[in-house]
Amino acid sequence: MAALPASPVPTISPAEMQILISRSGLVLNPGQMADLVLAWRQVAGLIAAIPQGRPLVDDLAFGFRLVPPGSPAAAPGPAAKPAARPAAKPAAKPAAKAAAKPRTRARPTAATKPRPRTSSNAAPAPQTRATPKATPTPQAPARHRASRGR
Amino acid sequence: MKGGVPPFPSIAEAGRLIAARKLSPVELTRALLARIAAIDPRLNAFLLVTERQALAGARAAERAVAAGRKGPLLGIPLAYKDIYETAGVRTTAHSRILADNVPTRDAETVRRLHAAGAVMLGKLATHEFAIGGPAFDLPWPPARNPWDTRRFTGGSSSGSGAAVAAGLALGALGSDTGGSIRLPAAYCGIAGLKPTPGLVSRRGVIPLAPSLDTAGPMAWTAQDCAILLDVLAGHDPADPASVAVPAVSYAAGLDAPLKGLRVGLLRRFYEHDVPGSPEVLQMMARAAATLRGLGCRVEEAVLPPVQDYNAVGRIIISTEAYALHEAMLKTRLSEYSRVFRVRVLAGALIRAADYIAAQRQRTDLIAETARTFARFDVLIASPTAGSAPLLTEQRPDDGFARPLLTTVANVAAIPSLVVCGGFTATGLPLGLEIMGPAWGDATVLRVGHQFEQAAGLRGRRPEL
Repeated sequence: MAALPASPVPTISPAEMQILISRSGLVLNPGQMADLVLAWRQVAGLIAAIPQGRPLVDDLAFGFRLVPPGSPAAAPGPAAKPAARPAAKPAAKPAAKAAAKPRTRARPTAATKPRPRTSSNAAPAPQTRATPKATPTPQAPARHRASRGR
Repeated sequence: MKGGVPPFPSIAEAGRLIAARKLSPVELTRALLARIAAIDPRLNAFLLVTERQALAGARAAERAVAAGRKGPLLGIPLAYKDIYETAGVRTTAHSRILADNVPTRDAETVRRLHAAGAVMLGKLATHEFAIGGPAFDLPWPPARNPWDTRRFTGGSSSGSGAAVAAGLALGALGSDTGGSIRLPAAYCGIAGLKPTPGLVSRRGVIPLAPSLDTAGPMAWTAQDCAILLDVLAGHDPADPASVAVPAVSYAAGLDAPLKGLRVGLLRRFYEHDVPGSPEVLQMMARAAATLRGLGCRVEEAVLPPVQDYNAVGRIIISTEAYALHEAMLKTRLSEYSRVFRVRVLAGALIRAADYIAAQRQRTDLIAETARTFARFDVLIASPTAGSAPLLTEQRPDDGFARPLLTTVANVAAIPSLVVCGGFTATGLPLGLEIMGPAWGDATVLRVGHQFEQAAGLRGRRPEL
């Protein structure tokens, strides 16, 4: 599919800026407004530097990615957040379900960790295990984006 | 416990001495508290010194050592950037907005460090909400560079950089959204790691721009950063971006030979995109020669222009920071610093379409950067165009006007370590940045550690 025509960054006059700011519920004094005008000039330049005219199918590139159920990387749902985390001791039974998987993967504390896990003259190579160079599709950034719904 | 407190021990050295019962955690903590009292009034690195908690933690560590417990962080005094929540201890983000904020829980990273026996000395200066520019209109002054107190520390982990360089703490926690760990590391002559996103939990760390925020260690050496990362890394279900990756010891493999390692020199970054000073160019040439001497194959590498990464990074930061602060900006605008307002208010005018375009472009930049790592194990560059500028030269709109070399790694979602790469003729430190592929944190630490050993730059401290 052909790229859509790129749209130039529309200029905003100070008066229009005032309207937009008011719409955001902000009240700026003249000095703060002058600062905003200064900053906006720079920001508009940055926006203009980002390609906008992309094929519609590229929207897949900015998509949501759910981790398959049962995957060790699966994050718990909102119900399991802070309250489910024990402060220091292993999780009690009710919280164990949400915490069990990750905790088996979690790093042990320094006091209990059997180290070194690799021999002292062997190079650790977590990147080759986690992200093979032959397939450099970064998994983490995708998850990172998927969880960015704030 | 036998023996006195050595001057400026590293975490590794202090850990060995404590384990051998040749150094008392209490004596070490007392020595650092005395040094903070004597020197920090000139540096403003600390917003709060938690003397009572520090001594209690040190005594607990001493009892644990006596009981036979061992651990590389047991009894090690650290300090935390004041965006890390600490239970019962004020956490302000260096802002009037949170001047009275006392969290009820520790950040996950703080919890891990304390569980490992680390001792909290206090809370460190930042730039307001980690925005990355020094401000003089806040209740606390900005931190100053220990190598020359007229100069900028870099930011936003400004207190972390100053405290570690001045020997006020053996290590610190920083955070990095566009370079906030690595810029202070470069300007203050220490080591700082921005880990792969998802490796270190951000739960309990006050966010700036969640798409790009990372938490990480800062210390005198890469080895100390590795020791800290061994404790900090690990899956945290309470941070939705946290990733469960196989556990490795980052400190254990630091001495594995570098022979044959493929190092990409991002020459265009510091020669053209953000032109470095002549001393930066010389430092990079020497760094490349040092790595060749260690058996690395150093060749030129090319990534998209720094400006491409920066445009994406700045738009994401402005938009997300504005979104996070909008409610507070409506009611307490004048309580924020001018720097924060200049850097964040424009986020109110950024259209959703522009933000999405930035995120889509980031996806492309991540993929393009990852492809480069098919040819190279690590990439090196200068994180700055020169040594620390004067504090008074900093402008509120610097974040937009001058592209940051460090933002490349944030946008590309890769680990990046800065170590001391050399000194200017006037004695100011210059940083060397070492980037790896996603999850290549162990490799960048290994390269940084062996570079430090070969370059022999860790014996020099600021005169205070």
